[in-house]
Amino acid sequence: MTIPTFILKNALRNKRRAILSISSVAASLFLLVTLQVALRELTLPPESAGAELRVAVRNRISLTNPLPVRQRSLIEKIPGVAAITPFTWFGGKYKNEGGMTFAQFAIDPKALGTVFAEAKMDMTGYQTFVAKKDSCVIGKITADKYGLKVGDRFSLDSTVYPGSLTFEVAGIYSGTPDDRNMLFRQDYLDDSIGMPGYVGMWWLKVTSPEAMPGVIATVEKTFANSSAEVKAESERAFQLGFISMLGNIRMLVASISTVVVFTLVLVAASTMSMSIRERFRELAVLKALGFRRRELFAFILAESFGLSAAGAVLGIGTAYVLYTYGNISQMTHGILISFEVTPRIIGFAALVAALLGIISAIAPAVAVTRMSVVQGLKTLD
Amino acid sequence: MASPENIVVIRDLTKRYSQGEIEVTALDRVSLEIATGEFLALMGPSGSGKSTLLHIIAGVDRPTSGECHVQGVDVARLNESQLADWRNQNIGFIFQTFNLIPVLTAAENVELPLLLTQLNRSQRRKQVAAALDLVGLSDRSHHLPRQLSGGQEQRVAIARALVTDPALIVADEPTGNLDSHSAQDVLTALQSLRRDAGKTIIMVTHDPKAAAFGTRQIHLEKGELS
Ligand SMILES: Nc1ncnc2c1ncn2[C@@H]1O[C@H](COP(=O)(O)OP(=O)(O)O)[C@@H](O)[C@H]1O
Ligand SMILES: [Mg+2]
Repeated sequence: MTIPTFILKNALRNKRRAILSISSVAASLFLLVTLQVALRELTLPPESAGAELRVAVRNRISLTNPLPVRQRSLIEKIPGVAAITPFTWFGGKYKNEGGMTFAQFAIDPKALGTVFAEAKMDMTGYQTFVAKKDSCVIGKITADKYGLKVGDRFSLDSTVYPGSLTFEVAGIYSGTPDDRNMLFRQDYLDDSIGMPGYVGMWWLKVTSPEAMPGVIATVEKTFANSSAEVKAESERAFQLGFISMLGNIRMLVASISTVVVFTLVLVAASTMSMSIRERFRELAVLKALGFRRRELFAFILAESFGLSAAGAVLGIGTAYVLYTYGNISQMTHGILISFEVTPRIIGFAALVAALLGIISAIAPAVAVTRMSVVQGLKTLD
Repeated sequence: MASPENIVVIRDLTKRYSQGEIEVTALDRVSLEIATGEFLALMGPSGSGKSTLLHIIAGVDRPTSGECHVQGVDVARLNESQLADWRNQNIGFIFQTFNLIPVLTAAENVELPLLLTQLNRSQRRKQVAAALDLVGLSDRSHHLPRQLSGGQEQRVAIARALVTDPALIVADEPTGNLDSHSAQDVLTALQSLRRDAGKTIIMVTHDPKAAAFGTRQIHLEKGELS
């Protein structure tokens, strides 16, 4: 026998308790990793290739207030602006499905090749989209989800405009970080149930990243004191602004994580205390045999740390394998596209486990080092 | 003061416990010399201070006043960690309730004190085998405590006490939890430790039949030797 085998035999002496405490650590860390990954995915949307050249221009009052079409020609004249497209939220419901399962926006058909050039599609798709007014393009994820193919026709009821529109699929694009949106033509909307003369917002493409600050300032200045003042910002800033609405989600996730960790510490610490208290007499015997305080301290720490570590490997490992090799978009029905367990999150969870192992060892270890042999021998089994 | 033949020399040893207002004198100016190779039976009624005296000699408790020298060492002067090392090297402990570790086999229980020594694995194994052989339990080395009888458990405890080859073995009512037959085995084993291995043994007991196995009997009464 060696010291490590001795520690291992002690840790596993009550198999059921060991399994339960490893499982509770594992389950809690799995939950913690899941929460952290979800938080990261929600607050850090993946950046697309064209993002560093894109500028969002929206109504200063709010995103839901429209912008007048006449702004377009003024914006186009600003130096540094390479392309522009309207971007109007349609709010369509597909086939009586409860919520909106994918977003639809009305754009300028040529914008697919300019402002949103990272969306890849075959040439005929582009040509059809430019040629046919009622055509639309769909992200691959949505197309796959609903089995939509080029040439298919379908209708959407708008929750923003009165009535519904029928579209024909011109092409299926991919290559953006989230290939889910449906894009159709602004002129189709204007000529049917839309609000001619107004668009939801503008997306611009600038000529170079260096040109961006100038373009943003000029756009805002151009419409200052007009009936539709605008706010222009980089795509990144626009997304972050969108995400600031998620601020309370961040709070919520942080609170849940704190509660999870706190509960875990309480459970682990009381389990460890209990298991050491049951062995007080044995530990007194070890002392009598010549084991020093620091050795007993080390035994308890190793046992506690070992149980936490086993739980951590199981919990973090399961989360890693599940989220890395599992099909997240299928598991979440397309709500989440990627669910990446980053090294940083693994490190955080491992740190929590390590601290857990140490913290839950402290109280019993202190009790054992304080105990005198005589006192310990008197405790009943 | 200590003649070389005296392994234990105790002078005016007093131990008091104070519990709030009340003060209990567990040992009252006890003086005692124990010769090397003795098998001393320490007798007395319950509460007379037998265990307290044994604990002080074995270095797990400290006197209130007086001196206790074991092999010339004033035990009370050692600090906690020196005391732990000293116990490991010089004292073998045997308890009334055996106190084996339930998850370890007989051999592993015996090996426990050797984990603190510099011995390597095969040296440890050899010493464990020898100790188990001495108490007649070679064939039980892979049994867990619960697979052994009380008498066998106590003999494993004896093997654990002698495996580090200590000069002094202390036993607190080692037969207190055993039937007379098993007690006989344990006492015989202790006797042979003295005779064959030259160990000095101090055994606390209130059973005169057990005490008869010793080479000398002394009596404690209310903390005083009579
Ligand atoms: N920790 C303690 N606190 C208070 N009194 C104690 C303590 N330990 C022992 N005593 C008292 O000291 C006396 C001697 O106890 P002990 O040595 O255990 O007796 P014995 O072993 O002869 O039965 C008893 O009166 C006992 O109540
Ligand atoms: Mg006693």
